[in-house]
Amino acid sequence: MSGFIAGYIPLLDLYLIHLGLAFSQYIVLRAGVFSLATAALAGIGAYTAGIFAVKLGMHPVLGVLAGTVMGMAAAIVLSIPLARLRGVYQAIATVAFIQIFVSLNIYAEPITGGALGLNGIPKTVGTGILAIAAIAATYVIWAVERGRLGRAFNAIRQDEAVAASLGISIVRHQMLAFALSGALAGLFGALEAYHAYALDPNQFGFHLLITVLSYVILGGRNSVIGPVVGTAILIILPELARFLAEYRMVIYGAMLIIVINYMPKGIADTVRDAVRAGRLKRRGEDPA
Amino acid sequence: MTMLKLRNLSKRFGGVVASEDVNMDVPGGKITGLIGPNGAGKTTIVNMITGMMPVTGGTIHVGDTDITHAPAHEICRAGLARTFQNIRLLSEASVLDNVMIGLHRHERSSTMAALFGLPAAARETAEMTERALALLAEFGLTRFADYPAGGLSYGHQRKVEMARAMAAEPDFILLDEPIAGMNDVESDALADIFRGFAAAGKGVLLIEHNVRFVARMCSHIYVLDGGRLISEGTPDHVLNDPVVITAYLGGGDDA
Ligand SMILES: Nc1ncnc2c1ncn2[C@@H]1O[C@H](COP(=O)(O)OP(=O)(O)OP(=O)(O)O)[C@@H](O)[C@H]1O
Ligand SMILES: [Mg+2]
Repeated sequence: MSGFIAGYIPLLDLYLIHLGLAFSQYIVLRAGVFSLATAALAGIGAYTAGIFAVKLGMHPVLGVLAGTVMGMAAAIVLSIPLARLRGVYQAIATVAFIQIFVSLNIYAEPITGGALGLNGIPKTVGTGILAIAAIAATYVIWAVERGRLGRAFNAIRQDEAVAASLGISIVRHQMLAFALSGALAGLFGALEAYHAYALDPNQFGFHLLITVLSYVILGGRNSVIGPVVGTAILIILPELARFLAEYRMVIYGAMLIIVINYMPKGIADTVRDAVRAGRLKRRGEDPA
Repeated sequence: MTMLKLRNLSKRFGGVVASEDVNMDVPGGKITGLIGPNGAGKTTIVNMITGMMPVTGGTIHVGDTDITHAPAHEICRAGLARTFQNIRLLSEASVLDNVMIGLHRHERSSTMAALFGLPAAARETAEMTERALALLAEFGLTRFADYPAGGLSYGHQRKVEMARAMAAEPDFILLDEPIAGMNDVESDALADIFRGFAAAGKGVLLIEHNVRFVARMCSHIYVLDGGRLISEGTPDHVLNDPVVITAYLGGGDDA
């Protein structure tokens, strides 16, 4: 029995790390920014932590802290040019940012280990710490959603001009969403570094972008449950039929296309809306 | 009493002159009318005042504060609110949430409190909910609080938009054709609400195609045509002004 559970520990760890990254992607979309930078921001956090550990021999707590701060700082800087762009142009710019991260990483071989990656990071992070971090991240996203920030993000996402006319500063709020996204990506990237012994630059490239985006699109973009559900489904699904694991990216890609077409709000939001509509219907008033 | 003042306000879209040397005063505590045929430039004026369109020339002041080039969110904080000719609610959000967004200007809890869900943030959310519910009650919208705003009838959506604008507690409210598409009973109810705004000391700028309605509501009316003011004064004066009559007949409008 314990052997059975132990077999699933790596999967649980993967889930906890990717849930943090999914929230990083979620929060920018929530604030109306079409950024796909989470993969690179996670890479920045991971490499910062890795360099702190391997090259500088620093304590893991410092490494994780530095990774979080670097992820956040990079996101804040990135938010400045991005504030001038909208929609698909933001997406293109952030994909370019990921490319730049991966390329620079390979060039900066003396520091980052280049294409060979960074090896020999002491494994100090286990399931317990990952679980604490994932729960904390879920809590913060939940708190944001319930308070004034969530309300402002909602307004900006749905109609920027209306939001501005009601006194909401778009630049300020989107920068805040970015900072939070960067901090989350940096934190979970850093945890990944201390969890995985080794880092490889391509780990934080296009694959991770699609993976993280899939979690949020499938799960839902407008409630904290969305990433929780989406990440769980997409991590467990390939494990149910082992032969599917090999085609993980194919499944994610196909899933994205299907969900965007047939359930554009994602699973959690669709269910939530249906429950709400049902409740209002039972109350039996016609709004029109 | 503060005043919203437009001086030589101009706007050009390429070759199109949407507004030229417009001078207007909107005093607090009164309803000021702005009429004119289709395409006269009425909405453009509101868009410039609220910072949604850059001004080509001239100035806009609230009291002594120059807001000509201020960004939209700061103009709201200077005490201006508006409604839209083509209703712009967050259609998937509930009626209550729509009105709560209007309360943004009054939210004070720190970013830290909001990020970490501290009690201050929860208290604020509770307080804002109360205020939003009170506004909904004022506008007779209480029973729609939980419905998605987009599903409401046209008239109710207009009221939600007004409640949202009033939530900011503006000193001036700019209403862009607020009774368009409403029947007499509905527009009479709104007329009372507008008078209430003015009685509470707020300055109201009322844009309307229904000239009779404007004449009934306003003590002072401005008439725009082709971006220029062609007449202003009391309803009696304006409606008997031959220039105004020609503009409306020439425009083949629904006046
Ligand atoms: N964004 C824009 N780009 C180019 N031209 C515009 C723009 N907005 C308005 N215009 C033009 O400016 C002129 C004034 O338009 P505006 O919408 O202000 O008129 P209006 O008086 O509000 O008309 P209506 O009674 O139909 O609402 C029109 O000729 C219009 O075509
Ligand atoms: Mg108009």
